[in-house]
Amino acid sequence: MDGAVPLFRMEGVSKRYGGVRALEKAELSVMPGRIHAILGENGAGKSTLIKIMAGVVAPDEGTMTMQGRAVTFSSPAAANDAGIVCIFQELSLIPELSVADNIIISNPPTRFGMIDRRAQRRLAEAALARAGASDIHPSALVKDLPLSRRQMVEIAKALARKPRILILDEATSALTAADVAKVFAVLKRLREEGLALLYISHRMHEIAELADECTVFRNGRNVATYAAGTKTDNEVVELMIGREYSHIFPPKTPLPSSDRPAVLECRNLGWTDRLNDISFSVRAGEVVGLGGLDGQGQRELLLACFGVLRGLTGQMLVDGKPVALGSPADAKADKVGMALIPEDRKTEGLMLPMTVRENLSFAALDRLSRGGIVDRNAEQAMIDDMIKLLAIKTAGLDIPVGALSGGNQQKVVIAKWLMRQPRIILLNDPTRGIDVGTKQEIYQLLRKLADAGAAIVFYSTDYDELVGCCDRVLVLYDGAVKRELVGPEITEHALIASALNIQDDNAGMKQGAHA
Amino acid sequence: MSDTGMDRIASKMPSFIRRSDPAVVTAFACIIILLLVGSIYSRSFLSPEYLLQQLKVASFLGVIATGMMLVILLGQIDLSVPWSVAAGAMMACAAAAYGPMGVFLAIPFGIFCGVMIGVVNGIGVAYLRIPSMIITLATNAVAQGLMVVYTGGFSPQDSATGAMRYLATGFAIPGVPNAVLIWAVIGAAMVFALTRTTFGRAVYGIGNRERAAYLSGIDTRRVVMIAFAVSGGLSAFGGVLLAGYASKAAQSMGDAYLLPAIAAVVLGGTSILGGRGSYLGTVAGVILITLLQSILSVMQMPEAGRQIIYGVVIVAMLLLYGRAPASR
Repeated sequence: MDGAVPLFRMEGVSKRYGGVRALEKAELSVMPGRIHAILGENGAGKSTLIKIMAGVVAPDEGTMTMQGRAVTFSSPAAANDAGIVCIFQELSLIPELSVADNIIISNPPTRFGMIDRRAQRRLAEAALARAGASDIHPSALVKDLPLSRRQMVEIAKALARKPRILILDEATSALTAADVAKVFAVLKRLREEGLALLYISHRMHEIAELADECTVFRNGRNVATYAAGTKTDNEVVELMIGREYSHIFPPKTPLPSSDRPAVLECRNLGWTDRLNDISFSVRAGEVVGLGGLDGQGQRELLLACFGVLRGLTGQMLVDGKPVALGSPADAKADKVGMALIPEDRKTEGLMLPMTVRENLSFAALDRLSRGGIVDRNAEQAMIDDMIKLLAIKTAGLDIPVGALSGGNQQKVVIAKWLMRQPRIILLNDPTRGIDVGTKQEIYQLLRKLADAGAAIVFYSTDYDELVGCCDRVLVLYDGAVKRELVGPEITEHALIASALNIQDDNAGMKQGAHA
Repeated sequence: MSDTGMDRIASKMPSFIRRSDPAVVTAFACIIILLLVGSIYSRSFLSPEYLLQQLKVASFLGVIATGMMLVILLGQIDLSVPWSVAAGAMMACAAAAYGPMGVFLAIPFGIFCGVMIGVVNGIGVAYLRIPSMIITLATNAVAQGLMVVYTGGFSPQDSATGAMRYLATGFAIPGVPNAVLIWAVIGAAMVFALTRTTFGRAVYGIGNRERAAYLSGIDTRRVVMIAFAVSGGLSAFGGVLLAGYASKAAQSMGDAYLLPAIAAVVLGGTSILGGRGSYLGTVAGVILITLLQSILSVMQMPEAGRQIIYGVVIVAMLLLYGRAPASR
């Protein structure tokens, strides 16, 4: 095939949703054997672009060609047949089915009209091996796998469909560094096999590592296409957001002196085999990070602190006094003053069909009511404060919160807890899948809250964030704290080394491990 | 019924209805169509006396459907309605046989029995995590068994107290039946609870996403428990009113209220999956169901045909609503 002929090309493609222009005269050429990165803030049009390519939505105008021939996709199946397969940001696996069932779900091998389980298992094993995840057992149930493993299954599922163009939409956002390395190796091999890959990610270092060329989208238009490595990170960020960013992370304030009393203290916390003898404390004004590979007990630890888990052993102290928290209702009570920003804003943080107003005041209703009756004036005043404080962009307070962009939804989740003025704030990966601009606002907000005296525990799958935001980081491994990094010790190098539970002097392999 | 016809009817509705859920508008449009169809069969169908009579009959269903709506908003269901109604009616009448104090306490005691059935449902759903479809069916069976033991399988001989008859058939305000007034008061209380209280917000929150509500520090189990208790209490109160209306309780008096109560709530636009719906819709649904039953009897349809048409119409209406754009 002539290298100059693009495998796929779209020209002048536009899409509107109601009055909102999601995509405006977009152009894109995808070459075989290349990895093409798509960059842009949330709402820049990336998702719409992908959905059009994958046949999920039809464009209003414009043309698409595959190898010079005009194509239209009436459904995702049609796009699949043409060789375009997409791995979406939201997982599409069925938890109750086995890994093999999920991988082969759209086109299972049959014998006498029944699913040929042996053939299916063989195909699934092959797909998993190709995805670099042969350690996943094909007959394991998807619901028993941690999020990062599920993402690997998702990739195997896409590969089983024999794509010519593979689209990855934030496919690494739930992955641990070790898994990311594996995925990258797989992607590079696929590139050599002549596949075209379209790679969407918010993580700049991943794009630098992987991409051959990059296209930046802003407000529905493609504003620049350039060969990878010809622009600095700062230039790219400016292209994406159209304004200048000097420091992504706000400066850290000097650590409060160690004799300042701990607001939250955990002693020998344990829960089944997932948490193992965890002790730590958080002082007022401190941002404590939770690091480590994904699924090492960080989520359970946050849930345990918030009173969600049953059968917890060990002791928790708030302001030096032992407390027994049996539910989130206990944890948010005034004498404890705890808040949890949960992992999944769509199922745990928000009631999507309910209005922005109802969602914002939901956790603080007890404070905004007298005798069980909501004081609507007090509610309005507090909501106005929060909308202003967090600069939440919404077309009104009485539209469903599901209509907001991802970043603004996350702001609503945070705001609904700030309405209680919590003293202890637990955050479970609060920046997953949101745009650079909102991320930076969240970093600044965290620091501001800490400076105002809050004790913050912050779990992130993004090491850059832990380095940039935290005063201390506890690195978890297999449900236990393996290492505590303080102040200048917190580097990407140290985080990765301790996450893999290897000694620091062996950590010279850092570059390799992180790749 | 053409679309333009529906639109024309809808546009003549008061603006507060037009602004609300399309399902509610459709329900009111169907009510008007039913009234027009009914007037073809009988002149008296549109007379004020007849309409008031219909409203009075509707208020019994309305009281019961109010509790059902609360439970459905949570994404649950209450199938114990038939024997909660009967238990309320029978226990109130039974209390009346125990002297003046019994007469005085007849109504509260009947409601109390319904609340107890609801509390058992609530404990089962909220604390024991039994699916509501199972636990409420089970409590219904147990309540039936207890009532059969108590009455020996016959309609009880005790009759309703004067107060019960007065509530169901009297006129505190000339021209307005007391039953309608009671429905209005209970309805207003429910609207207030749903829109202005923390309890109402919690109900909608749990119905939309129970885990998010729980993680927001809402005591979800208590809210579920209260909702089932209210549903049981209102079913029993409906039974008390029905006993007052008929002067006595009967074995299977509640059977005719389970499907209509669910249908009224769902026809009024409340999502059977929970989290979405307004009380105005339930009011429309209750009136719609009542009129439908009335028309079928005015048409002198034999009982078997009536049941078939009744079921088919409910399915047809639900399908019609299925077309309405889903907001989630």
